[in-house]
Amino acid sequence: MATEPQVYPSKRPRFEIRDNLWKWIFLVPAVAIILILLAVPVLWTLYAAFTDLHLYRIGDFDTKFVGLANFEKLLSNRSFWRTARNTVVFMLGVVPAQLIIGLTVALALNNITRGQKLFRTWFLMPLMVSPVVVSFIVGRMLFQEDIGPINDILRSFGFEGVPWLTSPTWAMVALMAIDVWQWSSFMILMLLAALQGVPPDLHEAARVDGANQLQSFWRITVPLIMPITMTALLIRIIDAFKVVEIIMVLTGGGPGQATESVTLAIYRTGVKGGDLAFGSSQAYFLLIVLMIFGGAYLVLTRRAMGKD
Amino acid sequence: MGLAAQKRVRTIISYCILGFWSFILLFPMYWVVITSFKNAIDMSIKATYMPFIDFQPGLHAWHYLFVDRLTWFLDPFMNSVLVAFISSTVALVIGSSAGYALARFDYGGRNNSIVLGFMSQRMFPGALFILAFLVMFRELGLLDTRLALIIVYSSGAIPFIVWVMRDFFEGLPVEIEESAMIDGANRLGVLFRIAMPLAAPGLVAVFVLSLIGAWNEYLVALTLTFREAITIPLFMTMQVSQTGYTEWWNMSAISLVSVIPVVAAGMALEKYITGGLTFGALKG
Repeated sequence: MATEPQVYPSKRPRFEIRDNLWKWIFLVPAVAIILILLAVPVLWTLYAAFTDLHLYRIGDFDTKFVGLANFEKLLSNRSFWRTARNTVVFMLGVVPAQLIIGLTVALALNNITRGQKLFRTWFLMPLMVSPVVVSFIVGRMLFQEDIGPINDILRSFGFEGVPWLTSPTWAMVALMAIDVWQWSSFMILMLLAALQGVPPDLHEAARVDGANQLQSFWRITVPLIMPITMTALLIRIIDAFKVVEIIMVLTGGGPGQATESVTLAIYRTGVKGGDLAFGSSQAYFLLIVLMIFGGAYLVLTRRAMGKD
Repeated sequence: MGLAAQKRVRTIISYCILGFWSFILLFPMYWVVITSFKNAIDMSIKATYMPFIDFQPGLHAWHYLFVDRLTWFLDPFMNSVLVAFISSTVALVIGSSAGYALARFDYGGRNNSIVLGFMSQRMFPGALFILAFLVMFRELGLLDTRLALIIVYSSGAIPFIVWVMRDFFEGLPVEIEESAMIDGANRLGVLFRIAMPLAAPGLVAVFVLSLIGAWNEYLVALTLTFREAITIPLFMTMQVSQTGYTEWWNMSAISLVSVIPVVAAGMALEKYITGGLTFGALKG
């Protein structure tokens, strides 16, 4: 019996000789594709950000390096800061709303047994719908100012119709509502998964020890669901910073520039306007902000949770 | 209040919250369905809510879409179908092979770093890619082709597939594969005959998620295509901007046609999809 484990490893080299080939055949295509389609654009965009590259002048071979000129232009560009501000405002509006709705609905969902699967399936629906369609249905149709149902209902209760798409503030609110409609489900499903990982006997034990429900929630549930909540929040924050599609469909960035996001500005500058250099510097600005923010967020939450 | 009564109150409140949020999610969907049966007159004076009660439903939007303008709609529809299916299939084969390799072989102890390298793609904003893609595909003469979208969407889906499938394959018992190899099967046979079938739930989840991602993608399609290779989301926004005046009923019918296949697939495979969606955070 004692020799048996040795027979097995002695046979292994034969397989490993063959596998040394398969090992690379399986991995190399994926690595090659990602290197070409990830690394090349990332490096090319970095290069472009330091030149005066323009879409209509490619191939003229007179592309000049301009050093940090694009970034200087960026930092002094009021229109760019406006889009940066819009993006931050959008993020600060949608993420807390999604967290609150997500937690409330997830707690309710975790509290029931009958029909739980049905609700879970239904809540998945918005995540499957394309942002373009969501923006069209929820945005353009429901928020339509004259005959849209939201204003119609408001009027029937005696309020004024809201200028959803013509007022800068309300246009932003409408965009936030669209994002909350679509992405709260993500928080719901994540938080539900987190809640289901909390062992029920912990609450039972706390109750026996005389803790009330609120204490039990704050002292047991909250710390246990914190790691997943933090990750879900980070994912939503990063996605909110990248918002573009719903804006393109609903307001096109308007009225004026009131709802233009950074990504929309990059599209306008680089793709529509052809100014690849300036567009690239904006894209890198966004990337750097995301990386600093994401890194800081991870470090801070790890530290905060380590202390608990 | 007794414990049982307290519990009953909590259950009732829970159902109220769930009912309320379900209604919020349902209303826009209801609206788009009824709008697709409305006539211009039903939307010209005030909002109308109930078919047969405050407006007379008609099939003209559906007639318009499927009879009058079928060919005009069919091209983008077929583009979306082809691009989504081909890119997801390519990504599934390449991505799950790599996921398998990273689960079973040792790459000098760097397996985790390789997976992280794949995932770093998710951090990069799409805006960073569109400018480079525009120039790349223009130089290659691939602008406004389905091939360009297939290349971009497969490469976009691969990291996620590698990540999820590596974890999935790691959870499968290695002994079955080893005994098959002792019986003379080679690695390729093991992967396709043993590991892949066992990993079917994971494969279905990542395949459907890639499919939905490609089906719904807008920004890259907007950058790279403009006439021949346009997909449904692009087609929809073009309708809005071309007509200026929006034909709500026709737009609603198009929305429904584009939304129903993916929503149905997603909800039918709810268990796997939710697993795939929440996978990342649950691991982290």
